[in-house]
Amino acid sequence: MDFRGILDRLQVVGAPGLLGHDLPRPPDPKDKKDKGRGGDPFVWVEPEKLPAFLECCRDDARLSLELLVDLSAVDPSKDDPNLWVVTHLLSLALRHRLEVKCALPKAAATMPSSASVHRGAQWHERECAEMFGITFRGHPDPRHILLPEDWIGFPLRKDYVFPDEYHGISCK
Amino acid sequence: MGMLERQFEENVLTTKVDWLLNWCRLSSIWPMTFGLACCAIEMMAVGCAHHDIDRFGAGAFRASPRQADLMIVAGTVNFKMAERIKRLYDQMPAPKYVIAMGACATGGGPYYKYGYTVVKGVDRVVPVDVYVAGCPPRPEALLEGLMKLQEKIQQSSIVRRPARTA
Repeated sequence: MDFRGILDRLQVVGAPGLLGHDLPRPPDPKDKKDKGRGGDPFVWVEPEKLPAFLECCRDDARLSLELLVDLSAVDPSKDDPNLWVVTHLLSLALRHRLEVKCALPKAAATMPSSASVHRGAQWHERECAEMFGITFRGHPDPRHILLPEDWIGFPLRKDYVFPDEYHGISCK
Repeated sequence: MGMLERQFEENVLTTKVDWLLNWCRLSSIWPMTFGLACCAIEMMAVGCAHHDIDRFGAGAFRASPRQADLMIVAGTVNFKMAERIKRLYDQMPAPKYVIAMGACATGGGPYYKYGYTVVKGVDRVVPVDVYVAGCPPRPEALLEGLMKLQEKIQQSSIVRRPARTA
């Protein structure tokens, strides 16, 4: 199914938390500042309902999006008050894909963990948690995965400041 | 030199002993396998047949620091790894030497500006004797670094040097 087909199926099935969608668009010829948007079409989903949404995508026979390809986060800019959590799903049986975005406010970046629905989300959520400061409630193993356990700060946020030293080794 | 360094007054015998001890040491520098990243591939190339490191006597790579003379830090050093490097360096018996191989071990390499977990040079963790530049350095460059280290070992002596005045 193409994106339109998947979107219609999601609406028919009543997928929980579906807010809207966004398609790539070419630059507007009348507006010089508008560069358009490249990339793939995606759906906006409420963060609190993401595990239920993923479960619906996986269990429906016509969608059958059973593989979680990637779950990562984006800090769009310093001025944007939101972080995005981007999930890529793939259906091996039906050979189609879906991209799902959730917008989280930076001040309260917490959402339920999708590890119960897709086991592969465990490590991806650990990485998002340590790099962006997003808390995944109900995660079975919320340790740091790449950074040392006592690292201060969230490196992939746009307002990250490098530390001066770590364990006596200078960082400057 | 360890125990023997600077213990004796200079006489005609010490120059011969110096020469012999230094020759023995520089002809059998046994490195510890310490390939961390891409430079390890070039270090493996140095260990193989074409650019043979065994003709310098340094072909016996030891896995344990307790049996090694030389630590070739080949690759990027993270903060997590730096703690282990310090520990392994402390476990090596004297006389011990360190070659910083490649741009990352010399000064942080391509990760200098934005790499938040990369130590800007392994000399912030252990004392380095020879720096080999390159990303990665050619095997011949690493061999030249080894030869520079051999020249450095030739300078060491068991003679107690008098303190310089003025």
